Amino acid sequence: MLKHKGDAHPGRCISARPRQALPSPLSPDPRPEPSCACAAWATAGRPRLRCGQGRVRVPETARPRAVMGDESVPYFLGEGTTKTYQIPISHLDYKFIEKCTDVKHLEKILRVLRSGEEGCYPELTLACEKRIECLDPRSRALRKDKPAATASDFTAEEWQAINSELMSWLSEMNEDDKKSQLLRTDTPNERPDNLPPIRCSSSCPPTNQNKNLQNKQRSKKNIPRDYSEWDKFDVEKECSKIDEDCEESNSKARFFCRPSLPIIEKKIDTTGMTKREKIFIATREKEKGNEAFATGDYVEAVTYYTRSLSVIPTAAVYNNKAQAEIKLQDWDNALQDCEKVLDMEPGNIKALMRRATVHNHLQNYQAAIEDLNEVLSAEPENSMAKKSLLEIEEKLKGLKPVSEPQGKGKKILIEEIEDSESGEGREENTEERERRGGDKSCGAAAAARAAAGEPAMGNAHRKSHGKGKAQQDRDAHKHKDSAESGGKKGASKKKSEKHLSDHEGEVNGYLRSDEKSESAEAEEISTPHGEGSQSAGGGSSTSLPPAAAKLKSEGNELFKSGQFGEAVLKYSEAIEYVTGLGEQSPDDLSILYSNRAACYLKEGNCSDCIQDCNRALELQPFSLKPLLRRAMANESMERYRQAYIDYKTVLQIDSSIQAANDSANRITKTLIDQDGPSWREKLPPIPVVPAAAQLHRWDGGSLTSENKPSTTDINREEELQMNCEEAAEKFKRLKNEGNDFVKMGEYEEAAHKYSECMKLNTEECTVYTNRALCYLKLYKYEEAKRDCDHVLQIEDSNIKAFYRRALAHKGLQNYQASADDFNKVLVIDPNVVEAQKELEEVTQLLHLDSSAGDGSQQAHGKKITIQEVSDPAERGEGPLAAAEGAEEAEPKAVPRRSSQKLRVSEPPNAYDFGQIINALNASKDKAACADLLTTTDPKTLPVLLSNKLEGEILLLFIQSLEHCIAGKDPGLAYQHLFYLSKAKRFKVVLALLSKNEKEEVQHLFDLLTESQSDQYSLEDLESLKKVYEL
Amino acid sequence: MSAVLGLERPQVVSHVQQALSYTVFDCKWVPRSARLMCLGSAARGTGIIQLYELHGARLEVLREIEKPKPIKCGTFGATSLQQRFLATGDFDGNLNIWNLEAPEIPVYSVKGHKEIINSIDGVGGLGIGEGAPEIVTGSRDGTVKVWDPRQKDTPVANMEPVQGESKRDCWTVAFGNAYNQEERVVCAGYDNGDIKLFDLKTMSLRWETNIKNGVCSVEFDRKDINMNKLVATSLEGKFHVFDMRTQHPTKGFASVSEKAQKSTIWQVRHLPQNRDIFMTSGGSGSLHLWKYEYPAQRSKKDSEGSEMGVAGSLSLLQNVTLSTQPISSLDWSPDKKGLCVCGAFDQTVRVLIVTKLNKI
Repeated sequence: MLKHKGDAHPGRCISARPRQALPSPLSPDPRPEPSCACAAWATAGRPRLRCGQGRVRVPETARPRAVMGDESVPYFLGEGTTKTYQIPISHLDYKFIEKCTDVKHLEKILRVLRSGEEGCYPELTLACEKRIECLDPRSRALRKDKPAATASDFTAEEWQAINSELMSWLSEMNEDDKKSQLLRTDTPNERPDNLPPIRCSSSCPPTNQNKNLQNKQRSKKNIPRDYSEWDKFDVEKECSKIDEDCEESNSKARFFCRPSLPIIEKKIDTTGMTKREKIFIATREKEKGNEAFATGDYVEAVTYYTRSLSVIPTAAVYNNKAQAEIKLQDWDNALQDCEKVLDMEPGNIKALMRRATVHNHLQNYQAAIEDLNEVLSAEPENSMAKKSLLEIEEKLKGLKPVSEPQGKGKKILIEEIEDSESGEGREENTEERERRGGDKSCGAAAAARAAAGEPAMGNAHRKSHGKGKAQQDRDAHKHKDSAESGGKKGASKKKSEKHLSDHEGEVNGYLRSDEKSESAEAEEISTPHGEGSQSAGGGSSTSLPPAAAKLKSEGNELFKSGQFGEAVLKYSEAIEYVTGLGEQSPDDLSILYSNRAACYLKEGNCSDCIQDCNRALELQPFSLKPLLRRAMANESMERYRQAYIDYKTVLQIDSSIQAANDSANRITKTLIDQDGPSWREKLPPIPVVPAAAQLHRWDGGSLTSENKPSTTDINREEELQMNCEEAAEKFKRLKNEGNDFVKMGEYEEAAHKYSECMKLNTEECTVYTNRALCYLKLYKYEEAKRDCDHVLQIEDSNIKAFYRRALAHKGLQNYQASADDFNKVLVIDPNVVEAQKELEEVTQLLHLDSSAGDGSQQAHGKKITIQEVSDPAERGEGPLAAAEGAEEAEPKAVPRRSSQKLRVSEPPNAYDFGQIINALNASKDKAACADLLTTTDPKTLPVLLSNKLEGEILLLFIQSLEHCIAGKDPGLAYQHLFYLSKAKRFKVVLALLSKNEKEEVQHLFDLLTESQSDQYSLEDLESLKKVYEL
Repeated sequence: MSAVLGLERPQVVSHVQQALSYTVFDCKWVPRSARLMCLGSAARGTGIIQLYELHGARLEVLREIEKPKPIKCGTFGATSLQQRFLATGDFDGNLNIWNLEAPEIPVYSVKGHKEIINSIDGVGGLGIGEGAPEIVTGSRDGTVKVWDPRQKDTPVANMEPVQGESKRDCWTVAFGNAYNQEERVVCAGYDNGDIKLFDLKTMSLRWETNIKNGVCSVEFDRKDINMNKLVATSLEGKFHVFDMRTQHPTKGFASVSEKAQKSTIWQVRHLPQNRDIFMTSGGSGSLHLWKYEYPAQRSKKDSEGSEMGVAGSLSLLQNVTLSTQPISSLDWSPDKKGLCVCGAFDQTVRVLIVTKLNKI
């Protein structure tokens, strides 16, 4: 029989070999094999020598042998194992290999087969290779030694292409060489001046006199640095120091001490370079940018693109830069770059698409539509463009009722008139003010439009629009234009919409996964977690038939009210209805399943939940919610492995989902407890999420916020299960995320994160102060103040809270309170320069307010009411790009006034006087103090000073009298000195003056003695001197 | 393997094979040209520098220079694009800089080490790397020295073991992190498996690890960016890729390792046009082309809240076996993507074309 077989398959001839009882001690692979189930079984089933003598098991081949009935030989009779791995010989079989899923075991089989120790079976080897490849295409066992490719490995054209490409490069190079050789004589020697100094010697002044010094330093640095010296640098300590700094949660400090924010020059010096070299460098920088982009380091990418552009500006690089800026949501610059591309290459499709995206995010829908139409006219089949066009038109439709903004616009007009009326007294300001008014009206129009659009759009697009005010203004201008023609255009658009909506189902169906944010939003809106407004959004953004849509929204309502059972019924009806219709866009169905799964999950019906999630995922692979729900269901059914896989998949799609992160960690612990250190091996493979479905942390700015409702929901459930430690960890993470957002200027997001922190821990003050900062940046002064108040209740000397509350008060135009708070800051730490500056400013404002207040009380009152109307406009303008806190947090009204030169008028009461004095004292402004003293009646001085006289103030008075007044008006100086001595606390303060300060007073008296006046006699001076203890 | 897959993958074509009459230790493309240098040792114990130019399918000798000592390694890294001076390290521990137009006398010469200079690297030239042009040499005498061609006789930095500690043979050195004028690091690999990362800005040892086997070659994926990745190859056929962006206070940098073959990996070189693709050359005359894939998230917080890196994964794009002898040197053309030269101990230098690198 054997012989017969051998004849039939000459490749499979085998030499008889007596089996050995023990494995060869000289096994070719000395390293221990990782334990796996199959291997263990293989050794367990090691046969005895009994019937192995002289008998050779031939690996069975399934099909050809079936005829011969050899299959009747059961495996357990296949005694005998391979030499190397003790694999039962019976495993060297087509059938076994086809069924085996253990890659490691298969690899061993392959190694045995390849080694030829059990005989040579090329076909079986091939089959084994194929099997491994299908299980694990990256398996190392598949690697074979291969010779270099030759012409025969390519098609003739390819080979031709490869060669001609090289040839053309060669000729180009040779040509270039000759040229550059000619050029080289022109550019004799480098640019040695531009080179950085030699290491370590940079501090040496290059003069001859210092030669000795130079030598010394040189010899010093030549002392060999040995390892012990290197080791003295305690990395751990340094790192922990950095960490500690970070923990202070002062976001600014964090920003500076973070080592991973490299300072890279934005420009490259290209003097003396030939064109070729410039191209070389520009390309290099571009490549660096591309790599950074691919890794998700968009900031770095933008930097390198900028560098490339500084050498040679090209459209492609501008285009790439625009894309990176879109990822960073830096719409302003992205727009500029798109426009540059289009200047260079009109009609560049990518640039048009990108500009459309930017316009869309800036709510500049008309412009976006125009761009998309241009794309479609060039490429009518561009499905991305079609889809975005539809979405934008959808949004535009939601914006239709635009009657309200006009009303608001009118009110703002009133303000303009009012302003110019009341501004008559201050001519120099009116012009500026009018311009501001104009700005505001634009901003208001935009904001009003946005507000009008909001209910229809749901929570979709109210996010971080416009970083710069200027941008918003431009935007608003465009809006104005489009608002006029809006009616007409809208009508014509409607037609085209109808036409296009035929494609909608199709587009929705196939392109969902392409453009992440938009499609994801659409889904979120229609899921039950999307709080409020989802019924409206759901209706408009999906192509559900009306009946099903109605059922779904009913289901959503029921879900929200907690009637999960009824909601299930509604969803089921909707699903039935939709599936009954036959062909449908799978994503709608997927959402319905996902929603029903949510209901089941709430009911605790985990198995049904999993089923529904499975269906949803079949229709819409890698969508977040079903994955999350399935994970949660699996977890509660204690199917930790599956849950772990799902959470991991979720994290691949969007790594910022906190709940998934936490749960994955938790499950990891459970699994380690359960399965020991090798738990990973027991996991089924984690599916690899295609790049298109992945959301990196950066590109989903809007998306992460959309996910919030669901995450917080999950959070609430999990909070119960979480122990304190986890909560603390999560708290920290949230806080850090918040801090990161602050750094990026995403204050709204940051505030959101901090709010979540507060849910976990209300005691931690830093979170409140940080949120206050965010609110300040967002011009939400009330909220900022509230946060600061909270902090101060807990910690009554929190300097940051005082400072920020002061800013908030200032923003609320409550200058008195603001000044108070600034003073408190200065009491705690007198070295806070910002606080001093701010205090000064606020005091000025305060003074102005009080002096101007009486005269124009009425106008003032009116203005406030109007400003309230325009308040949304201010908010609509969004946070200005932030770098330094103090200046930017100023409310609009402030610079207008502070631009005016301070005119010190007589302060009406002791309090105001005190405030001004404090401000002056902070800045030691003698001239201003002199102004104050000239305007103040000396007789009132004791009253105004009340009991606030202090050494510093006295000194300031003396100094300003001495330097500014005594020369001009010695009489007044005398009067002041005289009445000053009548003030309360004068004696005490005087007693505390230092010697130098006394000298100053003496000097003043000397000055007064010299310059006689009719207001005082020398006797008077002498007696006053005595009062001053001189 | 399926033909479809084969077509998609990059192929390595051996374009030119040139037999040499000496042992080649290093080969380098001359920047902005189709010329290449071969450095080595002639049978009679002298050093050889050969300049070849690629003409179609053959290499033409333009110049042959003989020097008294065998030359181990060379670099163009610290020279300008106009000058293109070659810096070499020889068996006697001399660092020389040659003007290839007038190679009789070196432009710069210093007896830098007591023993053979095993490895050399340059930065700050060719428009690669901000800051001063500097050359680093690593020698059997256990020291790593950094040189500035503008400073005669003495190194600008010297890293050597403390007295009494055994001197380890330094096999490989590489510059990195030169993204602005201040920052710069040198990475050195030793025969005992030590890898040390010296920060030249702070003049301190920033990190060290041991990969258990002698470190044959280290290279950063790019020298002139905030250090991103480091590949270190070892004697026993493994190589490690470190993610250098996130340094954990105790765990250092995250890494992934891969075994390419059973023999020593002599050399690793990153594709200059794409930092995530690199080639390793092996003791068995084989070349492996790898791609590094980043994880979804490159760093995470550990239980104490400090950042730690997450290593990605590696995939083998192609492997070929060219010779039975080790391939000791490898260099990608900085100008032509996919063009590559390698020198093997079978006294042959090969110009290779790697196709389809654009499609990865």
